[in-house]
Amino acid sequence: MGRAEPSGGRPLVEVALPGVPGLGGLYARGLAASARKAVGARVGALGIGGRARGAFGAGGGLPDVAYLVRDVRADAERLTEYQHLLGESASDVLPAGFVHVLAFPVATALMTRADFPLPLLGMVHLANRVEQRRPVTLGDTLDVRAHARGLRAHRSGTQVELVTEVRVSGTGADSVPAWRGVSTYLARGVRIAGLDTSTPDVSDVSDVSDVSDVSDVSDDARSRDRGGSDTSRERAPTSHVSDEARVGDRGGSDTSRRSAFEPPLPTGQWRLAADVGRRYAGVSGDVNPIHLSAPTARTLGFPRAIAHGMYTASRALATVGAARTDAFTWSVEFAKPVLLPGTVAVRVAEERDRFEYAVWNGRSGKLHLTGDVVPH
Amino acid sequence: MAAPRTNSTTPSGAPRPATAATPGTTAGVPGPLAPRRAVVVGGNRIPFARAGGAYVRASNQDMLTAAIDGLVARFGLQGERIGEVAAGAVLKHSRDFNLARESVLGSALSPETPAYDLQQACATGIEAVVQLTNKIRLGQIESGIAGGVDSTSDAPIAVSDRLRRALLDLSRARTTGAKLAAVAKLRPKDLAPAAPRTNEPRTGLSMGEHQALTTAQWNITREAQDELALASHQRLAAAYDAGFFDDLVTPFRGLPKDQNLRADTSLEKLAKLRPTFGLGLSTPATMTAGNSTPLTDGASTVLVASDEWAAAHDLPVLATFVDAEAAAVDFVHGKDGLLMGGAFAVPRLLARNGLTLDDFDIVEIHEAFAATVLSTLAAWEDEEFCRARLGLEGAFGKVDRDRLNVHGSSLAAGHPFAATGGRIVATAAKILAEKKAALDPSEGDRPVRALISICAAGGLAVTAILEAA
Repeated sequence: MGRAEPSGGRPLVEVALPGVPGLGGLYARGLAASARKAVGARVGALGIGGRARGAFGAGGGLPDVAYLVRDVRADAERLTEYQHLLGESASDVLPAGFVHVLAFPVATALMTRADFPLPLLGMVHLANRVEQRRPVTLGDTLDVRAHARGLRAHRSGTQVELVTEVRVSGTGADSVPAWRGVSTYLARGVRIAGLDTSTPDVSDVSDVSDVSDVSDVSDDARSRDRGGSDTSRERAPTSHVSDEARVGDRGGSDTSRRSAFEPPLPTGQWRLAADVGRRYAGVSGDVNPIHLSAPTARTLGFPRAIAHGMYTASRALATVGAARTDAFTWSVEFAKPVLLPGTVAVRVAEERDRFEYAVWNGRSGKLHLTGDVVPH
Repeated sequence: MAAPRTNSTTPSGAPRPATAATPGTTAGVPGPLAPRRAVVVGGNRIPFARAGGAYVRASNQDMLTAAIDGLVARFGLQGERIGEVAAGAVLKHSRDFNLARESVLGSALSPETPAYDLQQACATGIEAVVQLTNKIRLGQIESGIAGGVDSTSDAPIAVSDRLRRALLDLSRARTTGAKLAAVAKLRPKDLAPAAPRTNEPRTGLSMGEHQALTTAQWNITREAQDELALASHQRLAAAYDAGFFDDLVTPFRGLPKDQNLRADTSLEKLAKLRPTFGLGLSTPATMTAGNSTPLTDGASTVLVASDEWAAAHDLPVLATFVDAEAAAVDFVHGKDGLLMGGAFAVPRLLARNGLTLDDFDIVEIHEAFAATVLSTLAAWEDEEFCRARLGLEGAFGKVDRDRLNVHGSSLAAGHPFAATGGRIVATAAKILAEKKAALDPSEGDRPVRALISICAAGGLAVTAILEAA
């Protein structure tokens, strides 16, 4: 146990872990806990059980802890494999997406705690935002700290943000992290009584990630968008994150471009082989069964395996290339999952002070993800 | 005092500075000679064959050697020690790391002729000319042979990454256990061969799909593309009929002329072909097999020299290789089309030489696709593009179609990637010599010039100016 410190307005107890946990083990633990939590949460939604209201105090229903792992190092061989798979140059600078796979298991560990209110398995990645203040390099010893915040009701369930901070060891816990990621997840169908419902959902097309009707939801979402473009700014993920997350944000991503997505001229295409999920699992450690094979994905309601969202976002970041500079903010919002194998159309283009990117189905025109990279 | 590093812009119309070392002003040992001109003596190529056609079993080395030997025969170079041979191929077997030198050793040239390989995608052939003429201008060599060759019929097939890694690990393994461990990693699918891909590595799009984006951007119509393709076939056929290629092409493997040439094609026939690129775009798909270059096998060579060397060998000179400029565009982020490098290189090249498009008797723009040529011309006529992207005051200018690819180009001849530059340089040099000889006395002794622009993968282009000698 460490000292308490403020984070997002609530005091957190810092818990040091001996090392970065393996995601495989976490998923196994998460599997057992998920069913219990899902049931418990639904019961809670009916107001006849679940947590006492007091538990929702400062943390808003989230555990008041931050996990910390010290002295994390990147492995050169794994880094090279990651860089080759994602289309990055094999430089000694860790791609921002590689820092994510290095650090994120610490946040995942938080989600497997008994007192974490949402089930790990079946969580849908809605959005991700990374601020890189300065490059992290191979050989740096890193301190990784993760906490959860922003538990809110979402139209399709409950959403939460996992904040992961990476500092080069010895720079002090109060210093600005070299790398900071905010990952927004949705627990579909999970309702928790007493949550703030006044805040808009993080993403108005989030339910296209709905596992049960992958094929037809985005039409639904788009038709809704057409009538609501005037409020799209309110629904932008940057509009309701806390002030600390806005540091370095120069206006946030213009999510209004996602309203009624009209496919632009592509700048490229990705042919994604059936084993892309397994290969990214190999370099990232993210062995979530929805990415590994058609049979394992089917058990969780997908017709085929789907690409890791962070794989697609990281490829877009790689395509931006060196123009992203050493310090940048990299954002992504995920819409419809990319089924494997598959070919998708891609546009990565410089727009004023940033690079914007979009990935969509070239035939149907349906959006898979969109985001931007803003050099600081 | 260091010599000024300016190799580029001088004010329009100003004479070029005497580049690099001016004797007496540079510290240390001065170079052997002040810059002088380099000339094109002639060229020789084998007819270009369609993939899987007449040269299906011929290797790059076979074809390049044949092209060199044809040049040797034309210019009496048996046993001659040439200053240097520079040549390359785009699709190349790893064993061909010394392709140019091996071809020299197999040719009738003196075995003491040095050679080196180079590679700049489809600009390989013209870049070989640029490098050798620069060496001639600096006095480093007196003569050179620039070459290029490509075979899509004998393309290198590689093993998969995993199999290659396993084989390399196996070769490094010292113990039986380590050897077994290296092999144990293999899976059956790792044994599948990896064919070379022409897709751009950073975008995943083929060259045709990239051009389709540019075609859409510039609203190039199907009709305009088919007309350009038709003109290419008709002009190449006419040039063959007139005997123009008699001293530029040596038959090989029973093929007397370019196998792709369709002298009897027509707009009707071209219009019947189904589009093959840009099918997924919202704009109409206009690019067909008829207005795109086919995969081709072939080789070309160009003999370049100093005036002194040509005179000593009693050889005529066709043209001076005046200057060259390369450019590259950022197609990865969609800023410009993949094959639009020439639109950027040519204005810079002409500004440096104080010339405009009107100063050229002929313009050779490599027909990777008909739409590549038409997009380049459209860009130069577009005021906004020229202001915003080229930094010019207004439109760059218009190319008179009667001066464009006057004896046909790649749509009709085919396009063995690295061989195209040599084909175009030799063709242009001979046209210039003919035009100069046919000048009306009223025109006096005016310069007769050719502009060449060759686009290449990776957003590259190499452009050049030739002037009748």
